[in-house]
Amino acid sequence: MSAESPPIAAAISSTEVHHQLGVLTRQLHDSLTGLGLAAKVKDWAGELPDAKSRLSYIARLTGEAAEKVLNSVDQAKEQHDHIASETRRIGALIVQDPVGTVAKGHVMNFINDVEQASKKVDGHLTEIMMAQDFHDLTGQVIAKVVNLAATIEDQLVQLLIQTAPPETAIATPVTHEPYTPALDGPVVNAQGNPDVVTDQSEVDDLLASLGF
Amino acid sequence: MSKELRFLVVDDFSTMRRIVRNLLKESGFVDADEAEDGVVALQKLRSSNFDFVVSDINMPNMNGFQLLSEIKKDEKLKHLPVLMVTAEARKEDIVLAAQQGAAGYIVKPFTKATLEDKVNHILTKMGLK
Repeated sequence: MSAESPPIAAAISSTEVHHQLGVLTRQLHDSLTGLGLAAKVKDWAGELPDAKSRLSYIARLTGEAAEKVLNSVDQAKEQHDHIASETRRIGALIVQDPVGTVAKGHVMNFINDVEQASKKVDGHLTEIMMAQDFHDLTGQVIAKVVNLAATIEDQLVQLLIQTAPPETAIATPVTHEPYTPALDGPVVNAQGNPDVVTDQSEVDDLLASLGF
Repeated sequence: MSKELRFLVVDDFSTMRRIVRNLLKESGFVDADEAEDGVVALQKLRSSNFDFVVSDINMPNMNGFQLLSEIKKDEKLKHLPVLMVTAEARKEDIVLAAQQGAAGYIVKPFTKATLEDKVNHILTKMGLK
């Protein structure tokens, strides 16, 4: 900085800064209104908290699915360890006293034990499979958030092009698809919303009340 | 008898198609095919024989409501029971599905017992079990 340069505070007073900010805000407002984007911006403002709760929903669902899978794996491994140790025990008994082991019912008990444990392991495997439904539910929610982000990006690019100085303006017009939300998808926050059901029993009650 | 029934599972998420097929298999319904949207489902339904449709609602190209409507308009297909399995939890969607002729409505996430109960209930009601 040269010695002749005036201090910034002296060159631009705070009143001028506020004035310039006001002018910029007015220009932005006029541009948005002129381009018909004011209403869209209002929509985005409404959609952003929704996007936030959708992302929280994804975090919750993936966390729950991971927890469910790990719990089921722990329980299945317990059953597996039990079968393995019982197999070793019955093997040793057979080596020691083959006839007695069968006659005293050890082998039959072992078979029943394995059958019960297998049923439990099968149940845990089904639980692990069911936990993967988070892929479908979060996938639908992610698609909505991506759609919103893409719409905002598209509109902002259009705004940039329309308001760019003539020397930097891009000749090619940018077309954008209107934001058309799909069906509602998973309910990310059902609390206090009387228009949605929260579980299967409410679906059944609703249909029954209508005679279906 | 129920083990001979042929199911068509319609969902745009392959994970969910696989889950539903596996659950049907565990319940004794081993014969099932898949479709990723309503358009493919309709093609399969018109070119082959099925006894039961399990369909999602929110799908690209042709959603579950449109598929249901097409099935109910088609003389050869309208007898087919269609069970909606969907994340759409709005009451008006549930009522609309019932009015359009859906045989049942399951909201995701669901359990194995729920799917089994609904399928068996529909089959019993239709005299197929």
